[in-house]
Amino acid sequence: MGNVEFDKACRPETVKLPFMLDFYPLEDSKNTMIGQFFTSLKQGRLTTTKCKKCGKLLWPPRIVCSNCLSNELEWVDLGTEGELYAFTEMKLGAPLGFVQDAPFSIGIVKIGGLLISARIDNAKYDQLKMGENLQLKIVELEDGRVFYRFRKP
Amino acid sequence: MRKVAIVGGGATRCGKREASWRDLAQEAGKAMFENVPNLSQKDVDSLIVGAAQPERFAFQAHVAPLVAEYLGIMPRKVLARTELMCASGQAAIRYAYACVASGLSDVAAAFGVEKMFMPDMAEAQTNMTCVLDREWDGVNALSAPPFFAMTAQRHMFEYGTTKEQMALVSVKNHRYSALNPLAQFPKEVTVDDVLKSVMIAPPLQLLDCSGITDGAAGVIMVPADDAKKYTDTPMYVVGSGQANIGNTVGNLANMTEWIPLKMAAQEAFQTAHIAADDVDLAEVHDCFTISEIMEYEAFGWCEKGKGGKFIEEGQPFIGGKVAVNPRGGLLGCGHPLGATAILQTLDILQQFRGEVPKGRYVEGAEVALAHNLSGPANVHSIMVYSR
Repeated sequence: MGNVEFDKACRPETVKLPFMLDFYPLEDSKNTMIGQFFTSLKQGRLTTTKCKKCGKLLWPPRIVCSNCLSNELEWVDLGTEGELYAFTEMKLGAPLGFVQDAPFSIGIVKIGGLLISARIDNAKYDQLKMGENLQLKIVELEDGRVFYRFRKP
Repeated sequence: MRKVAIVGGGATRCGKREASWRDLAQEAGKAMFENVPNLSQKDVDSLIVGAAQPERFAFQAHVAPLVAEYLGIMPRKVLARTELMCASGQAAIRYAYACVASGLSDVAAAFGVEKMFMPDMAEAQTNMTCVLDREWDGVNALSAPPFFAMTAQRHMFEYGTTKEQMALVSVKNHRYSALNPLAQFPKEVTVDDVLKSVMIAPPLQLLDCSGITDGAAGVIMVPADDAKKYTDTPMYVVGSGQANIGNTVGNLANMTEWIPLKMAAQEAFQTAHIAADDVDLAEVHDCFTISEIMEYEAFGWCEKGKGGKFIEEGQPFIGGKVAVNPRGGLLGCGHPLGATAILQTLDILQQFRGEVPKGRYVEGAEVALAHNLSGPANVHSIMVYSR
């Protein structure tokens, strides 16, 4: 083929998990204005924001009240015990970053007057019951970030 | 507001296609234009492209001008891509409808494309996990199957809905998709097949879930006064509705009663000057079997909590109270996110034109609706059509 040159092009053999495919939020004050949530979590406290002006309890935690637009919010504790509202188990179809954990249980938990989704760490689907009590649990990632889960007491 | 008509459209076959995002767009574009022979590409002044996640699935943003170039369209009124996840195509139709109704556009194409099969399917599953609030729900691996599994669990708990009733939805929709040449799963299934299929997220099994799908489709919308220039058999937009409440899973209005769907349905029926019972044919969003059961209830075709009984009695089959998903649904045809609503709409047009096979033809249908939910069923979008 005349003067056509054939050459190789290179791509890196492995790529570090890019941060936008990392499900966990960036927690430090350089990256978020609700860093206090994670600071409290490191102390074993699950908290959220409450509007000082209209009194609305806001989940997820935020910096502006969606009800009255006030930015005077305070941190309140939700407690450490919840009640299981609904649950399932991720058997097939787990995303990258969680595949190694599958199968694992996921639930919606009633806590502190809210419903929040969370992983349930120490029980399979067959071992869970609607309405049963669950205990807060904190997991730490290898880079020091933390997140909440629940467990059967 | 001007009355708006759909004068034609076309689509690709859906499924695991040996084709790229661009191939799918071209295939559907060619089919769409060939269906409206009196229209040239240059007549299209507006193009709205429904695409949920081209950045993730095909590493491509700015897809509306990409489609315009490939299809030889030169938009000069309105050009945009709509993203409303599973309802991205319905958003494209709603947007195109608004453009034509307002007088801004005289010929608008509502188009939809999704390429979902990837070499590593875990990557596709990953994409689907940033649909719910990624930092508070996605982080718990809450993609669609676990979310709708918990919805099903609550519905079974509160209303006594059974897995057999849910399975019947899959049986019905596969019965019709078996007669649809565009369907991803053109094969009938039995209740037993559904109950024996692999467990995805209990109580949902594989045949309770719609698929990962490649596909594309487009329809042409014009002012009703111009419709007969293009076809003897247009279909008219007669009503619509859309509503949203909350986003994070814990902030939904109600997990087992889709309040935003009731609101959107009420708006759709009011604008169309009809009642729920006037609907002859409904293409509704059966992303999971439980979804369709809850939709019977929210549309008011049966009492709250009696959706399971409604299908047990055969009411949503052709010949029953209302023909639900005679196209074959998302369960039978697949769910190429951005293209899904366009495929539903196109099938309604073909129903009105009498172009569908006998076993899934709804004879004498005058009023039809297309519905999509998106996210954790916090958003519902509906269009109502008539002959």
